[in-house]
Amino acid sequence: MELSPDMIKRCAKRKGMTLKDLLLQAGVSRTAYYSLVRKESVLPKSIRAIARTLEVTPTQILVDTEEEARRISARNEKVHAILAVNPAVDPDNVRHTLLLLDQEPEERLRRALLRGRTFDFH
Amino acid sequence: MAGHLIFTDKEAAFLRELVKNNVDFMIVGLAAATLQGAPAVTQDIDLWFKDLRQPGIKRALKKVGGFYIPPIQPRPPMFGGGHVELFDIVMTMDGLQSFSKEVRHAVEVPLGGVPVKVLPLDRIIASKKAAGRDKDRRSLKVLQDAQKTIEALEKTRANGKTRRRRP
Repeated sequence: MELSPDMIKRCAKRKGMTLKDLLLQAGVSRTAYYSLVRKESVLPKSIRAIARTLEVTPTQILVDTEEEARRISARNEKVHAILAVNPAVDPDNVRHTLLLLDQEPEERLRRALLRGRTFDFH
Repeated sequence: MAGHLIFTDKEAAFLRELVKNNVDFMIVGLAAATLQGAPAVTQDIDLWFKDLRQPGIKRALKKVGGFYIPPIQPRPPMFGGGHVELFDIVMTMDGLQSFSKEVRHAVEVPLGGVPVKVLPLDRIIASKKAAGRDKDRRSLKVLQDAQKTIEALEKTRANGKTRRRRP
């Protein structure tokens, strides 16, 4: 996984910035930037090795924690909005439904079966 | 962990074969509810067939190494062998109309690469209410809350669309 200088320049341009402005604002030195650009992969070898062993791409095993936090916050807002119009519903049921709706139907079913068999529910 | 092996492509293959062989069936019960987003828990996948004599059922079973076990009172008919033991046969659904009438309102859910008919959540709730067994009553609250959640989301989406259409 390499850094794309073209993509960085395009994104900077969209924001009305030059590369120099960007590096200055981001607090990244030119040396550090060009060193990153020259790298064959910006990811540590160990992450690439784990991904290769699992036969997945590195992005599949990486979590953007900021993005995840934003998703959780958006989900919580939805829970509150739903509770506002349906005060009798259980917040946990709403939250779990929203979580499941983010997944593919096959995965929803797999989770239900896994829990059913693990906990020997009825 | 063995749990990860639940509902693998081998089980999905049976559903694919049923669809490929034009078998009239739908997934019902809590498995159907979870497919639609309800956070329920289940041990098996209930399949409601229009008619168990449909030749496609045997063809599908043969393809995945399963077989049909006819009913011996009081035991209902079952599937055995292969990767079909996760599936239960449902003969009738409490509180619902005939298969032919209910299937008209079935929702299609992608499963194992094919669209599979699934009994809608409101009909699952109606059936659980009518059955009235302890285990049905226990799952009702979760199903009803899930339905209210889904309805609220749909309403929000519909309102959003209407707002965007305004000049």
